[in-house]
Amino acid sequence: MKGHQAAVLERSAARGRLGHAVARGLRHAVDALEQILAGLATAVLALVALVVVLAVAALCLVGVGLLLAPGALRLLRAVADRERARVSRTERPLPPGGAPPRTVREAAHALVVRRELAWLVVHATFGVMIGLVGLTLPLWVVQDVTYPLWYRLTDHAPSVVFARVDGLGDALLVALVGLAFAVAFVVLGPAIARLQSWPGAALLAPLGSDLSRRVAELVTTRAAALDAHGAELRRIERSLHDGSQSRLVAANVLIGAARRAVVRNPAAADELLEKAQTATEQALAELRSVVRSILPPVLDRGLAEAVTGLAAGSPVECVVEVDLASRCAASLEATAYFAVAEAVTNTRHSGARLVRVSVRTDAGELRLTVADDGHGGADERTGSGLSGIRRRVAAHDGTFRLDSPAGGPTTLEVRLPCGS
Amino acid sequence: MRVVIAEDDPLLREGLGLLLRAESIDVVATADDAASFLDAVAREHPDVAIVDVRMPPTHTDEGIVAAVEARRRQPGLAVLVLSAYVEQAFATDLLATGAAGLGYLLKERVGRVEEFLVALQRIADGGTAIDPEVVEQLLTRRTGRGALDRLSPRELEVLALMAEGLGNAAIGRALVITDGAVHKHIRSIFAKLDLAPDDEADRRVVAVLRYLHDDAGR
Repeated sequence: MKGHQAAVLERSAARGRLGHAVARGLRHAVDALEQILAGLATAVLALVALVVVLAVAALCLVGVGLLLAPGALRLLRAVADRERARVSRTERPLPPGGAPPRTVREAAHALVVRRELAWLVVHATFGVMIGLVGLTLPLWVVQDVTYPLWYRLTDHAPSVVFARVDGLGDALLVALVGLAFAVAFVVLGPAIARLQSWPGAALLAPLGSDLSRRVAELVTTRAAALDAHGAELRRIERSLHDGSQSRLVAANVLIGAARRAVVRNPAAADELLEKAQTATEQALAELRSVVRSILPPVLDRGLAEAVTGLAAGSPVECVVEVDLASRCAASLEATAYFAVAEAVTNTRHSGARLVRVSVRTDAGELRLTVADDGHGGADERTGSGLSGIRRRVAAHDGTFRLDSPAGGPTTLEVRLPCGS
Repeated sequence: MRVVIAEDDPLLREGLGLLLRAESIDVVATADDAASFLDAVAREHPDVAIVDVRMPPTHTDEGIVAAVEARRRQPGLAVLVLSAYVEQAFATDLLATGAAGLGYLLKERVGRVEEFLVALQRIADGGTAIDPEVVEQLLTRRTGRGALDRLSPRELEVLALMAEGLGNAAIGRALVITDGAVHKHIRSIFAKLDLAPDDEADRRVVAVLRYLHDDAGR
């Protein structure tokens, strides 16, 4: 009996894993389609730009083109920057190219321009082709899958025009072919999208790569830091306004009412004052929680003790291992503390029996790991606090890695550069 | 006086209700968002609607929008907008619906019950009550530039009270001066600011606020 139950559980777990894998595949396919569409758009732009550049180059032979060259160079840079922005959204951050060269002589000496021209040729040709292929597949999916609905209009099915279609049975077969195309796109779509972005990622990246890449990354993480900072300020403002401030306003109103009632109806006055006192108590409690969310006072005694405290309050048995050589910046320790707090809180829903928390400093980094033996499936996109933690970590130029396959186990790994 | 209250914070909603009922003011309905507030106004036809600025779903300016809409649907409805902080831009939106029967006050003014009740009664009677804080914001932005600098300190005080919506008698009481002195100051202010003199408090408040607002940008 027990064995049977275990088998059922295993099967349902396997079903859950399969469902997860399918959902993830579909999500990636939709992302890929979006990328391919955007890539096709920049490829068509590249094609137009290529025609213009070639025409201007031809006119240069008779002299007139030299006047038009600055315009063509501006166009080239603008189109390349569009692709840079697109690749930055999906692959890796590429900073914009900056001001284009003003003269042909300047352009001839600029390696960046030569690389942009090479990209232009590739993207205007292969980019368009790959985009069209990538787009045709999903189009066929839609046409074939819906074919049974309109097979009476034509007996030549889309994408399999060579075969005649007789009756609904054949039309349903065509729909099956459509499903096969869908599977093919789910499998191939992301690769097609990567292939299409590859020339841009390779040729439009800044030269002297390491330093420039670092600058590009810093620009992006700085923006993330400002975003996180802004979001944090909004959160604090909102919790002060909705919490303490409105409690104090209510207390103020109740005290006003009580003062009016003192003479006429002392009993009512006391009741009002009681309510006012409750309101001020709530205001104080909310102030405390806001303050704690900015910088937990427990951190005054060090991250080690704070993390141990978290473990003591954990819903699941928690083993802590701390090895800290020195203290880090307060905001960094706060980020680490909230990351552990969030991960430990999340174990409540994971069915885990044991959580292991490890916090240590190593090679100038604060490294923390929270691992549980639960059923996994934690997803930062489903509204947990994990996405906030990721932003906070990114703002400190750290790395955040969440590994939580359906079926478990879940491991959260955060590394924060601790510049001491 | 029949009143509808729109306030999403339950504690404050209840507190306001208690306070008003203790003063024998009839609280006919309470609402916690803009939609149910507009329903309550349509159903109850209150004399005054008291509205909080921040309400669900976005907690930004729902109350202002709802107040403007309520006055559009029921012209002449007196509205008192309460807010945890005052924003002069919100006052401008509200004043676009006319200053008669309009109030815009900080929430904590409610705690000074006597003054609050006077302001509420003034609004119900078609008068105006603009929070001193809004007037202060406008005056601060205007200081050091243009015609306002020609006003004497006492005239500035009178101007601020006019902008809050006080009538001549109330201004006299507030500054402990005679009616005649108030008249003299007001004539002088209108002459210095080049405005047509007006004894009607609600037309006067619009003229004064518009003057302050329009000039503030220059």
